[in-house]
Amino acid sequence: MSLPEINTKIQETAKRLLKEGKAEVVIGYRQGTAPMTVAPHFARTEDDCNQLVWSNFAKINLATYLPKFPGKVALIAKGCDARSAVGQVVESQIARENLYIVGVACNGMVDVELIQAKEPRPVFTAEEDMATIKLSGEGWSTSLTKDDVLRRACKTCVCRTPKDIADELIGAETPALSPDDYADLKALAAKSPEEKMAYFKGLVKDCLRCYACRNACPLCYCPVCFVDETRPQWLGKSQDEMDTFTFHILRAFHCSGRCTSCGSCEAVCPMDIKLREFNRILEEEVQRDWQYVPGLNWEQKPPLTTYRPDDEAEFIK
Amino acid sequence: MSEFEPKIVAFFCNWCTYGAADLAGVSRLEYPPNFRVVRLPCTGRLNPKYILEAFKRGADGVWVSGCHPGDCHYIAGNYHARRKFMLLHHMIEAVGVEPGRLHFSWISSAEATKFQEVAKEVVEKVRACGPNVNFRKAELNLGLPEVA
Amino acid sequence: MAEYIVKENALRNFFQALTEGGQRTLLAPAKVGDKLQMVECEADKITLDFANTHQSPKSAFFPQTQKLMAFHKDTSKSDPFVYKPLGLDNMKPTVLFGIRPCDAKGLVVADKVFQNNRFTDPYWKTAYESSIKIGLACTAPGPNCFCTGVGGSPFSETGLDALAYVKDGGLAIKAITADAEEFLKGLSGVEAAEVAGEMAELKKAVEAKMPGPIDMAKVASGEILDIFNQPHWKDTADRCLNCGTCTFVCPTCHCFDIQDEQNEKGGVRMRNWDTCMSWIYTVHGTGHNPRPTKTERMRQRFMHKLKYIPMKQDGDCGCIGCGRCVTLCPVNIDIREVAKQMNG
Repeated sequence: MSLPEINTKIQETAKRLLKEGKAEVVIGYRQGTAPMTVAPHFARTEDDCNQLVWSNFAKINLATYLPKFPGKVALIAKGCDARSAVGQVVESQIARENLYIVGVACNGMVDVELIQAKEPRPVFTAEEDMATIKLSGEGWSTSLTKDDVLRRACKTCVCRTPKDIADELIGAETPALSPDDYADLKALAAKSPEEKMAYFKGLVKDCLRCYACRNACPLCYCPVCFVDETRPQWLGKSQDEMDTFTFHILRAFHCSGRCTSCGSCEAVCPMDIKLREFNRILEEEVQRDWQYVPGLNWEQKPPLTTYRPDDEAEFIK
Repeated sequence: MSEFEPKIVAFFCNWCTYGAADLAGVSRLEYPPNFRVVRLPCTGRLNPKYILEAFKRGADGVWVSGCHPGDCHYIAGNYHARRKFMLLHHMIEAVGVEPGRLHFSWISSAEATKFQEVAKEVVEKVRACGPNVNFRKAELNLGLPEVA
Repeated sequence: MAEYIVKENALRNFFQALTEGGQRTLLAPAKVGDKLQMVECEADKITLDFANTHQSPKSAFFPQTQKLMAFHKDTSKSDPFVYKPLGLDNMKPTVLFGIRPCDAKGLVVADKVFQNNRFTDPYWKTAYESSIKIGLACTAPGPNCFCTGVGGSPFSETGLDALAYVKDGGLAIKAITADAEEFLKGLSGVEAAEVAGEMAELKKAVEAKMPGPIDMAKVASGEILDIFNQPHWKDTADRCLNCGTCTFVCPTCHCFDIQDEQNEKGGVRMRNWDTCMSWIYTVHGTGHNPRPTKTERMRQRFMHKLKYIPMKQDGDCGCIGCGRCVTLCPVNIDIREVAKQMNG
């Protein structure tokens, strides 16, 4: 399906869902006001629905908004959005009967940072279809193949078409990708502790501690985050290297066995930190220990909320 | 120079290892004095941030010890804890903390000799790692001019 | 005021001379990793070809983490447990080269916050007043630039000591303050020239390409409470993540949090950037939070920029149109759109 076809389909579906009373609001995207941006859009009327679009420039995971809506919500979902929504149902943050997932067959989102690395000139207009991104500025224009500027998370997506978890699906199924093989992490694991720590501390050295990663994360719904706790205050507020490092370790830890690798955290980071490196460490471990992939099943319990008497932990004396 | 004496923060479950430490004491079993013990109601109560905080504040090692699987006073606290430990143990080493700094054990309140053995082993392993310099918060630089 | 040119082959010497033989710290646009930032850098790393730096230059005078004072606990000395200010008497003056006119205007907004008839912040004052700011006018504004929309100009001289633009690979510079004239005239590579005419023409040409003024008349004349209670806030806040990216990259956002850290030897009082987008920014000791949801927090930022600052600073807008928040907002909350809604 082409982009305009998908857009029409999304708009029709949204209108139908509102009319049938299956949803009070349809959450999707609308065109942004600046080049290479889209805005999350909350369609409550037919007019609103006409603004819904599908875009390659989607940054955040729309499931992030779900716990804040009390009524019936329909979600125009990429695979990762749908998986995170499932996760929120499993974790009792939203009620299944209040959620309607409109899955869209997705072939990945683009990374604006990668685009800018390939095309550093200021981009004044960006046009897109499912396979190419056309950029133009003052006196120039160029075309990029979408696959070359795909977000890292999208390259190893295990759920491009949320066909099993969506209530309905738009678009033909996209070919599956081979999942993350964690080759780089395995190579890193063989290095010395000093090298590993230098690598991870280097990743977060530019961190502003704005916590945009936390706020954009569909898993981070705690009423008070540990970074905001004051009695005791776990983390200093200055740009101290260890405080920053600890934040990133704990952020990843809190997402372990829950993270759907949507890459929202990386996409919103104003300093373009590769935050998923921390998440992937645990993602790999969770898959190895408990063969669990989050957000693909409505019934399965997240691994840290359950246990098996025969869990193997040979490092415990 | 005298040998490096590590500082180790120990998190012991009230129902088992804490008792084992007591029993080791009254049984006159000698074990190294490098621990600062934090008593917990259960290892399930242990938040991973306690461990990171201990390292961040300068601990050279951390030792967590609770009841044997199946013996939890609260039925399943240590089963849940074990899953957290599996991830934390992996995470901590993956980001570059030396493998010998973080230790876990199951010691019942009757196992005073096991307590003694593990205590010695933990201290030796942490001692072998040397002082924790990489995973701790830097000393505060006051930057004040010298005044007599 | 005097006008100069620096030829392309003299640029390196000129940049080196800006430090006055190491008397000043030179901050200029240069690549840090793959981002262009206003940083302390060597003369040959400076770039002249850019839209704007990734972050605003406010950290030159208002660092993200700044130690304000410290005490020690050594009772054998005469002054234990006495807080003493840090860094005020040995602060090295800076010279900022290549700051964009919008950002210079932003620093003026912040300056009026840190220095006014009620308060003077000694840390800001010491750093800001001793600095020399040489602006670099925009001849190719970026896609999200709108300084002309909020009363600025790509050739604005507000807050600058001198304004330069790129001419034949070198620089044409116009001194704006007497200090700058004194500073520039003796520097290596600087030749006297007439550039004001060309500058005025360029200014006209570039401004013509840029967006027209954003109508804020009703925001200026309206009652605070009326704007405060407009219904659009809720709609915009629906998608706001309260991530704070806008406040961290904004040249005029100046809120901070004072923190004490101490150990057995002493303690330090420091201030860190804070953000009104954060829950903890307004939460009281009692647990009450006067800005309980993201709607209030997001509204605060726009009210502050577009209503409160103009009220306090003789009508000057708190937004200077650099476009950083527009570019970096992950959910495309566009201050230009919000301004329109507030005015409408």
